[in-house]
Amino acid sequence: MSKKVCFLYKNPDYVVDGMRSALGLSVENNYAFGAVLCKMDKLDEHNMENLDWIRDMEGEVFSTLPENCETNGLTPITLEELGQKLREMDFIIPFGTK
Amino acid sequence: MKILNVYRSEPDSDVKKLVEIVTEGREATEFKLYGGEVDYDKLVDMVFEADKTVCWW
Amino acid sequence: MAKSLGIFVTNPDNMQHILGVTKAAKAKGAKVKVFFTWMGTKLSKDPAFPQLVEMADDVSICVDSYKNMGYEVSDVPTGLTPDKMATQAQHGAIIEGYDRYLTL
Repeated sequence: MSKKVCFLYKNPDYVVDGMRSALGLSVENNYAFGAVLCKMDKLDEHNMENLDWIRDMEGEVFSTLPENCETNGLTPITLEELGQKLREMDFIIPFGTK
Repeated sequence: MKILNVYRSEPDSDVKKLVEIVTEGREATEFKLYGGEVDYDKLVDMVFEADKTVCWW
Repeated sequence: MAKSLGIFVTNPDNMQHILGVTKAAKAKGAKVKVFFTWMGTKLSKDPAFPQLVEMADDVSICVDSYKNMGYEVSDVPTGLTPDKMATQAQHGAIIEGYDRYLTL
Protein backbone atom coordinates (compact mmCIF):
# COMPACT_ATOMS: atom_id res chain seq x y z
CA MET A 1 0.00 0.00 0.00
CA SER A 2 1.32 3.46 -0.91
CA LYS A 3 2.63 5.60 1.94
CA LYS A 4 2.89 9.36 2.25
CA VAL A 5 6.43 10.39 3.10
CA CYS A 6 8.00 13.80 3.62
CA PHE A 7 11.74 14.39 3.75
CA LEU A 8 13.01 17.51 5.51
CA TYR A 9 16.34 19.11 4.63
CA LYS A 10 18.13 21.59 6.84
CA ASN A 11 21.70 21.29 5.49
CA PRO A 12 22.51 22.24 1.87
CA ASP A 13 25.02 19.39 1.59
CA TYR A 14 22.19 16.88 1.98
CA VAL A 15 19.46 18.35 -0.21
CA VAL A 16 20.35 16.81 -3.56
CA ASP A 17 20.87 13.29 -2.27
CA GLY A 18 17.84 13.62 -0.06
CA MET A 19 15.79 14.44 -3.15
CA ARG A 20 17.22 11.30 -4.75
CA SER A 21 15.98 9.30 -1.76
CA ALA A 22 12.55 10.89 -2.17
CA LEU A 23 12.54 9.93 -5.82
CA GLY A 24 13.58 6.41 -4.83
CA LEU A 25 10.38 6.08 -2.80
CA SER A 26 8.28 7.67 -5.58
CA VAL A 27 9.31 4.99 -8.03
CA GLU A 28 8.32 2.40 -5.40
CA ASN A 29 4.76 3.75 -5.67
CA ASN A 30 4.80 5.95 -2.59
CA TYR A 31 3.83 9.62 -2.42
CA ALA A 32 7.13 11.36 -1.69
CA PHE A 33 7.52 14.99 -0.72
CA GLY A 34 10.46 17.11 0.35
CA ALA A 35 10.83 20.43 2.14
CA VAL A 36 13.99 22.52 2.10
CA LEU A 37 14.47 24.62 5.25
CA CYS A 38 17.94 25.95 4.38
CA LYS A 39 19.42 28.02 1.59
CA MET A 40 20.47 25.65 -1.18
CA ASP A 41 22.63 25.81 -4.32
CA LYS A 42 21.19 25.98 -7.80
CA LEU A 43 20.23 22.52 -9.00
CA ASP A 44 22.05 21.19 -12.06
CA GLU A 45 20.17 19.79 -15.03
CA HIS A 46 20.24 16.22 -13.74
CA ASN A 47 18.77 17.20 -10.37
CA MET A 48 16.17 19.45 -12.01
CA GLU A 49 15.10 16.32 -13.89
CA ASN A 50 14.84 14.47 -10.57
CA LEU A 51 12.61 17.29 -9.26
CA ASP A 52 10.40 17.02 -12.36
CA TRP A 53 10.22 13.27 -11.90
CA ILE A 54 9.13 13.61 -8.25
CA ARG A 55 6.35 15.92 -9.48
CA ASP A 56 5.39 13.51 -12.26
CA MET A 57 4.92 10.86 -9.56
CA GLU A 58 2.46 13.13 -7.67
CA GLY A 59 5.06 14.36 -5.20
CA GLU A 60 6.38 17.87 -4.59
CA VAL A 61 9.41 19.67 -3.19
CA PHE A 62 8.63 22.72 -1.07
CA SER A 63 10.78 25.38 0.51
CA THR A 64 10.20 27.82 3.34
CA LEU A 65 12.86 30.11 1.78
CA PRO A 66 11.65 32.29 -1.11
CA GLU A 67 15.15 32.39 -2.67
CA ASN A 68 15.08 28.59 -3.19
CA CYS A 69 11.73 28.93 -4.93
CA GLU A 70 13.12 31.60 -7.23
CA THR A 71 16.41 29.81 -7.97
CA ASN A 72 15.16 26.24 -8.33
CA GLY A 73 11.43 26.51 -8.89
CA LEU A 74 10.53 24.89 -5.57
CA THR A 75 7.00 25.39 -4.30
CA PRO A 76 6.70 28.03 -1.55
CA ILE A 77 5.37 26.95 1.82
CA THR A 78 5.31 28.54 5.27
CA LEU A 79 6.49 26.69 8.34
CA GLU A 80 2.90 26.57 9.60
CA GLU A 81 1.64 25.12 6.31
CA LEU A 82 4.45 22.58 6.33
CA GLY A 83 3.50 21.52 9.86
CA GLN A 84 -0.10 20.94 8.72
CA LYS A 85 1.15 18.93 5.73
CA LEU A 86 3.33 16.80 8.00
CA ARG A 87 0.25 15.82 10.02
CA GLU A 88 -0.99 13.91 6.95
CA MET A 89 2.25 11.99 6.46
CA ASP A 90 2.83 8.35 7.32
CA PHE A 91 6.57 9.06 7.62
CA ILE A 92 8.44 12.27 8.47
CA ILE A 93 12.14 12.00 7.64
CA PRO A 94 14.51 14.75 8.83
CA PHE A 95 17.39 13.91 6.47
CA GLY A 96 21.11 14.11 7.28
CA THR A 97 22.35 16.72 9.70
CA LYS A 98 21.34 20.31 10.39
CA MET B 1 -2.23 8.36 17.17
CA LYS B 2 0.71 8.34 19.57
CA ILE B 3 3.81 10.14 18.31
CA LEU B 4 7.33 9.80 19.68
CA ASN B 5 9.65 12.72 18.92
CA VAL B 6 13.32 11.76 19.18
CA TYR B 7 15.81 14.62 19.27
CA ARG B 8 19.34 13.99 18.03
CA SER B 9 20.36 17.48 19.19
CA GLU B 10 18.78 20.47 20.94
CA PRO B 11 15.69 21.34 18.86
CA ASP B 12 15.80 24.77 17.19
CA SER B 13 12.82 27.08 16.70
CA ASP B 14 11.80 25.46 13.36
CA VAL B 15 11.74 21.98 14.89
CA LYS B 16 9.85 23.19 17.97
CA LYS B 17 7.20 24.81 15.77
CA LEU B 18 6.80 21.74 13.54
CA VAL B 19 6.54 19.43 16.55
CA GLU B 20 3.92 21.72 18.09
CA ILE B 21 1.76 21.56 14.95
CA VAL B 22 2.25 17.86 14.22
CA THR B 23 1.44 16.79 17.79
CA GLU B 24 -1.49 19.15 18.40
CA GLY B 25 -4.43 17.15 19.75
CA ARG B 26 -2.41 13.93 19.68
CA GLU B 27 -0.66 11.99 22.39
CA ALA B 28 3.06 12.70 22.21
CA THR B 29 6.19 11.59 24.02
CA GLU B 30 9.82 12.61 23.56
CA PHE B 31 13.29 11.14 23.93
CA LYS B 32 16.65 12.93 23.84
CA LEU B 33 19.68 11.34 22.20
CA TYR B 34 21.93 14.17 23.35
CA GLY B 35 23.21 15.53 26.64
CA GLY B 36 24.00 12.37 28.55
CA GLU B 37 24.02 8.60 28.55
CA VAL B 38 21.31 7.11 26.35
CA ASP B 39 19.05 4.33 27.61
CA TYR B 40 18.55 2.45 24.33
CA ASP B 41 16.43 -0.18 26.02
CA LYS B 42 13.94 2.50 27.03
CA LEU B 43 14.11 4.13 23.59
CA VAL B 44 13.23 0.87 21.84
CA ASP B 45 10.32 0.30 24.22
CA MET B 46 9.05 3.81 23.46
CA VAL B 47 9.44 3.29 19.69
CA PHE B 48 7.33 0.14 19.84
CA GLU B 49 4.73 1.76 22.11
CA ALA B 50 4.28 4.70 19.71
CA ASP B 51 2.40 4.53 16.42
CA LYS B 52 4.94 6.75 14.74
CA THR B 53 8.44 8.01 15.55
CA VAL B 54 10.06 11.14 14.16
CA CYS B 55 13.83 11.46 14.66
CA TRP B 56 14.58 15.16 14.42
CA TRP B 57 18.11 16.35 13.64
CA MET C 1 4.33 -5.69 20.59
CA ALA C 2 5.40 -4.90 17.04
CA LYS C 3 8.28 -7.06 16.05
CA SER C 4 10.25 -5.39 13.32
CA LEU C 5 12.24 -2.18 13.13
CA GLY C 6 13.79 -0.49 10.10
CA ILE C 7 16.55 2.09 10.51
CA PHE C 8 17.35 4.56 7.71
CA VAL C 9 20.80 6.06 8.26
CA THR C 10 21.60 9.44 6.71
CA ASN C 11 23.89 10.95 9.36
CA PRO C 12 27.56 9.88 9.55
CA ASP C 13 27.80 10.69 13.27
CA ASN C 14 25.27 8.21 14.63
CA MET C 15 27.07 4.85 14.80
CA GLN C 16 26.79 4.68 18.58
CA HIS C 17 23.01 5.20 18.38
CA ILE C 18 22.59 2.65 15.57
CA LEU C 19 24.50 0.03 17.56
CA GLY C 20 22.66 0.84 20.78
CA VAL C 21 19.20 0.68 19.22
CA THR C 22 19.96 -2.47 17.24
CA LYS C 23 21.35 -4.29 20.27
CA ALA C 24 18.35 -3.31 22.43
CA ALA C 25 15.82 -4.22 19.72
CA LYS C 26 17.43 -7.60 19.09
CA ALA C 27 17.40 -8.32 22.84
CA LYS C 28 13.61 -7.80 22.71
CA GLY C 29 13.25 -10.27 19.87
CA ALA C 30 12.67 -7.72 17.10
CA LYS C 31 13.79 -8.13 13.51
CA VAL C 32 16.09 -5.24 12.54
CA LYS C 33 16.98 -3.98 9.08
CA VAL C 34 19.44 -1.10 8.58
CA PHE C 35 19.97 0.82 5.33
CA PHE C 36 22.71 3.44 4.93
CA THR C 37 22.55 6.23 2.35
CA TRP C 38 24.53 9.29 1.28
CA MET C 39 27.05 10.37 3.98
CA GLY C 40 25.69 7.59 6.18
CA THR C 41 27.59 5.13 3.95
CA LYS C 42 30.82 6.45 5.49
CA LEU C 43 29.86 4.41 8.55
CA SER C 44 30.50 1.23 6.55
CA LYS C 45 34.18 2.00 7.27
CA ASP C 46 33.60 2.36 11.01
CA PRO C 47 35.47 -0.33 13.00
CA ALA C 48 32.14 -1.31 14.61
CA PHE C 49 30.36 -1.86 11.26
CA PRO C 50 31.06 -5.64 11.08
CA GLN C 51 29.62 -5.96 14.60
CA LEU C 52 26.45 -4.22 13.43
CA VAL C 53 26.16 -6.56 10.44
CA GLU C 54 26.51 -9.48 12.82
CA MET C 55 23.79 -8.20 15.18
CA ALA C 56 21.15 -6.97 12.72
CA ASP C 57 19.03 -9.24 10.52
CA ASP C 58 19.74 -7.26 7.37
CA VAL C 59 22.23 -4.48 6.60
CA SER C 60 22.66 -2.83 3.21
CA ILE C 61 24.08 0.39 1.79
CA CYS C 62 23.26 2.60 -1.19
CA VAL C 63 25.98 1.79 -3.71
CA ASP C 64 25.58 5.09 -5.61
CA SER C 65 26.08 7.03 -2.38
CA TYR C 66 29.09 4.88 -1.52
CA LYS C 67 30.64 5.73 -4.90
CA ASN C 68 29.88 9.41 -4.35
CA MET C 69 31.75 9.24 -1.05
CA GLY C 70 34.83 8.25 -3.07
CA TYR C 71 34.88 4.50 -2.44
CA GLU C 72 35.34 1.80 -5.08
CA VAL C 73 32.35 -0.49 -5.56
CA SER C 74 34.73 -3.44 -5.57
CA ASP C 75 35.81 -2.44 -2.05
CA VAL C 76 32.93 -4.24 -0.29
CA PRO C 77 32.74 -3.17 3.39
CA THR C 78 33.79 -5.85 5.86
CA GLY C 79 30.82 -8.01 6.80
CA LEU C 80 28.74 -7.22 3.70
CA THR C 81 28.29 -9.28 0.57
CA PRO C 82 28.18 -7.59 -2.88
CA ASP C 83 24.38 -8.06 -3.11
CA LYS C 84 24.02 -5.75 -0.08
CA MET C 85 25.58 -2.92 -2.11
CA ALA C 86 22.08 -1.94 -3.13
CA THR C 87 19.67 0.83 -4.17
CA GLN C 88 17.05 3.06 -2.54
CA ALA C 89 14.62 0.16 -3.02
CA GLN C 90 16.00 -1.07 0.33
CA HIS C 91 14.52 2.03 1.94
CA GLY C 92 11.24 1.26 0.19
CA ALA C 93 11.36 -2.22 1.70
CA ILE C 94 11.61 -0.70 5.20
CA ILE C 95 8.78 1.77 4.55
CA GLU C 96 6.50 -0.95 3.27
CA GLY C 97 7.41 -3.97 5.32
CA TYR C 98 8.53 -2.95 8.81
CA ASP C 99 6.37 -2.23 11.85
CA ARG C 100 8.44 0.67 13.16
CA TYR C 101 10.82 3.15 11.54
CA LEU C 102 13.71 5.28 12.73
CA THR C 103 15.91 7.81 10.91
CA LEU C 104 19.37 8.11 12.42
